[in-house]
Amino acid sequence: MTEGTYSVSGMACGHCADSVTEEIERVTGVTAVSVDVEAGTVTVTSEAELDIADIHAAVEEAGYELAGEPR
Amino acid sequence: MSTFNGADPKQFITDFFTSFTDELLRSDEDAALVVDRYHTPDIVQVADGRRMDRDKLIAHTRPVRKNRPTGRMEVHEAVAHGDQIAARYTMYVQNRKKDLAIEVYFFGKFTSDGRLNQAHMLTRTDSKADPAKQQLVEGQGVSA
Repeated sequence: MTEGTYSVSGMACGHCADSVTEEIERVTGVTAVSVDVEAGTVTVTSEAELDIADIHAAVEEAGYELAGEPR
Repeated sequence: MSTFNGADPKQFITDFFTSFTDELLRSDEDAALVVDRYHTPDIVQVADGRRMDRDKLIAHTRPVRKNRPTGRMEVHEAVAHGDQIAARYTMYVQNRKKDLAIEVYFFGKFTSDGRLNQAHMLTRTDSKADPAKQQLVEGQGVSA
């Protein structure tokens, strides 16, 4: 089990959180997504190490922007 | 003296949000310039306890521009006092192929030139579809 927290800019409300969650959940291997709108972060839990390009693409698809590397 | 110069507060709030969204979506103009035409530089907007300042507001225009939500706004009631407006309205939005009805309880403070300076909002997402669409569907005899 792996967990990574990413900074995402542009999220303002619960609907933003839903959109980002929905797209990241589609990434293969992702088992849980938790969004903190106030902090502008998304924590992704997965079965194995994820390719950041996939997370980047999912966040972009939702309309938002990845603002930082996982920590 | 009222900031709104006797303007109907319902119309004022409708025009404010409609015009802001239209300006954002109809051109590629720098989002900061559009935000600044409608908000003071020290804007503080708190929606459901989440605080947005100018920078966050500008960052939030990116998903709005990318997803290009469509819809309409219905102001149920609005009251103006001095430079403040209290309003209850519903936004019927189609965003990312989802229909949303978001009821908003809004308390805002505006400058004399019509820019938003402070806003507190509580929102409630209604699962009911847009009544205008519902009537259309009912009129066609289609049941859910």
